[in-house]
Amino acid sequence: MVPLRERVEAVIDRIRPMMQADGGDIELVEVHGNSARVRLTGMCAGCPFAHLTIHTGLERALREQIEDFGELHVL
Amino acid sequence: MRIASQCSTTHVVTGHSARMRAVFDLVRIVSQSDSNVIITGESGTGKEVIARLLHDQGPRSRQPFVAVSCALFSETLIETELFGHERGAFTGAVKDKPGRFEMAHGGTLFLDDIDDVPLSMQVKLLRALQNRQVERVGGVRTIPVDVRIIAGAKHDVPQMVAAGRFREDLYFRLNVLPIALPPLRERREDLPLLVEHFLTRFAKERAVPVPELSPAVQYAFSRYHWPGNVRELENLCERIVQTCGCGTTRFGCLSESVLFGAANSRIAGAAPPVFGPPRAVSLDDRLREVESGLIRWALTVTGGNKSKAAELLNIKRSTLADRIARCGISPAAVTSEGDHEHAESSTSVSATTPASAMQAFMDTPR
Repeated sequence: MVPLRERVEAVIDRIRPMMQADGGDIELVEVHGNSARVRLTGMCAGCPFAHLTIHTGLERALREQIEDFGELHVL
Repeated sequence: MRIASQCSTTHVVTGHSARMRAVFDLVRIVSQSDSNVIITGESGTGKEVIARLLHDQGPRSRQPFVAVSCALFSETLIETELFGHERGAFTGAVKDKPGRFEMAHGGTLFLDDIDDVPLSMQVKLLRALQNRQVERVGGVRTIPVDVRIIAGAKHDVPQMVAAGRFREDLYFRLNVLPIALPPLRERREDLPLLVEHFLTRFAKERAVPVPELSPAVQYAFSRYHWPGNVRELENLCERIVQTCGCGTTRFGCLSESVLFGAANSRIAGAAPPVFGPPRAVSLDDRLREVESGLIRWALTVTGGNKSKAAELLNIKRSTLADRIARCGISPAAVTSEGDHEHAESSTSVSATTPASAMQAFMDTPR
C-alpha cells in the first residue's frame, strides 16, 4: 500500500507544473489521518480565486483518486 | 423558450481552421437555397449561430427567424407549440394561438434538438414538412405555411435511425443539405482567436482592460477537451473577465474542471507550459491589491459598517479609515456594492466573498 502522503503528492504533481509556470507553487504541509494540509506559495498566495480553485478542484481530485480521503485544508 | 434568437450574426467569429472555413463556404452556398438543412454538432458548437447566419444571408432575411428547442417541451406540449391550437381545444385554451410554423411564415424555422422529438410527434412533423401545411390542435382547417426548415441535432441521427429512435423518412426529408460542426477540441487552432474575441467582448461590456493570459492558462486551454465547446469557452471568458482583478489571468481564475481536465488530459503534442524568464512583480502593488480586496470584502459583508469591518480585519477603526483612504475606496461604491440590487453593477470582484462570487458563476444561466 502506497503511503497517503505519496498518493496526495502524486495528485498535486499533476497541477504543479501549471502553477509553477504562473510563478506559484503548492506545498504539502502535512498529512493527518485521512486529511491533508497544503499551502499555496508565490503568485498564488493571497489570490482568493487560486485558493478556491485549488480547494474545490484538488479536494475533488483527491477524493476521486484516494478512497475515503477526508478533508483538504488550504492555508 | 426561445422565440427570437439570442445570437447575433454581426459578430460571428469563424476561426482559421480548415474545417470552419469549409463550413462557412458551405453556409454561403446553402443560404441561397430553400431546401431543408440539418446542422449537426455537439452541444455548444454554435448550431443556432449557423442557423441564424443561413437566415440572415439568404433571401428570407427580412422575414421572421423563429428558433425553437424541441427538447424543452413534453410530447403533448410540443404539438401545440409547433402547430398552435384553436380556442377550446383543451382546458385552458382560451383563445386561438398560432404555432411556431405559422409564426415563421415567409421566413425560417429553426427546430433545434430535433433528435429529442418523440417518435409519435415525428410523424406529424414529417407530414407538415412534406405538405407545407399545418393543422392547429383542435382545428379542422389546414393552414399553408411557407417556411424554410433548419433542424439542429446534437446526436448522431443516422445511428438513431438504425436504433429505431428516429424515423428514417423524416431524417431523409431533413438531410437535404447537412452541415456538420466540428467540436472545439478538433479545431484547437481557432482557440486563440475565439479567446481574444470573447475576452475583448466581455471586457468591453464591463469597461475593463482585456486581461492577458498567463502561460499556464494558455497551456490549460490547449489541453482541455472542451466538452461544452464554444459555449463553455465563452462562459469561461466571461468568468475570467469578472474575476481577474490584476490584469493577468493565472490558473487560479480558471474553473477547477478546466484546470484538472487539462492536468489529466492525455492529448499528445500539446505544448508544455512555457517557463519564460520570471517577470517582475511589484510587491507593493500586489500587497495593495490584497489589502484593498480584503477591505472591500469586510465592508461588503458588514453592510458598510466600518466598526464591524475593522473588527473583522482585526485592526483599529481609525486604521481602517486611513487604509480606505489610501486604497482609494469610495464609501459610496462599497455601500452600493453591499446592496443586492446593485450587486450586478459592481465592478470589483473583491467586493464579494470568493465563495459567493463562485456560486454566482455557477448559477450564471447559459
